[in-house]
Amino acid sequence: MSPFLTVVCLACLAVLLLSGALTMVRLTIGPQAADRAIALDTITMMFIGVICLLCMLWNSDIYFDAVWILTLVGFLGSAAVARYLERGRLFR
Amino acid sequence: MMPSLFDLTVAVPLLLGTFLTFVTSLGLLRFPDVYCRMHAAGKAGTLGVCLIIFAAVIFFAPAGPSVPIRGLLAIVFQFLTTPAATHLLARAAYLAQYPLTDRTEIDELEAYLGAYVRERYGKE
Repeated sequence: MSPFLTVVCLACLAVLLLSGALTMVRLTIGPQAADRAIALDTITMMFIGVICLLCMLWNSDIYFDAVWILTLVGFLGSAAVARYLERGRLFR
Repeated sequence: MMPSLFDLTVAVPLLLGTFLTFVTSLGLLRFPDVYCRMHAAGKAGTLGVCLIIFAAVIFFAPAGPSVPIRGLLAIVFQFLTTPAATHLLARAAYLAQYPLTDRTEIDELEAYLGAYVRERYGKE
């Protein structure tokens, strides 16, 4: 991995962590449940980005399975919150 | 440290995706009501994370097909699931009568769902 790409990856990692911190603020103060569900969804996305960046930095693909599994199940949290808001309960 | 063509091909989607992700977090923090925030998270966030995965796909492409297959699969799943989740959440928020911001000009959903919401969930 070239030094240029290492610098770019580290800078992107820093910005992603900063965005995660900002989203965490919304997760804390969000006035209602839907705001928190959206913030949690976004934090999952940022976590996927961080895993991709770490795979590139460490030059190994052993964590890459986590990426596509997280894209597959990451939306279930907000789907569950939506169902709860609509019906008032999760399961009948 | 002069970047090669391969480095630039990886770095451009990476920087674009990181920028979009940062914009998503700013939108989540600054927008006035829950529907605007969904707008930020559902569009910019999806494209941002897809661009980052795409950069990883390009980076690992010379090493064999294992990562590119999983990465493209991840992009397809991301484009399938995130809009569905955002749509579900927006519908649920409207049915639960989450308040719109007072800067709202027009509520087009009122003509279709307003009567149903009032009949089923009462009040207002």
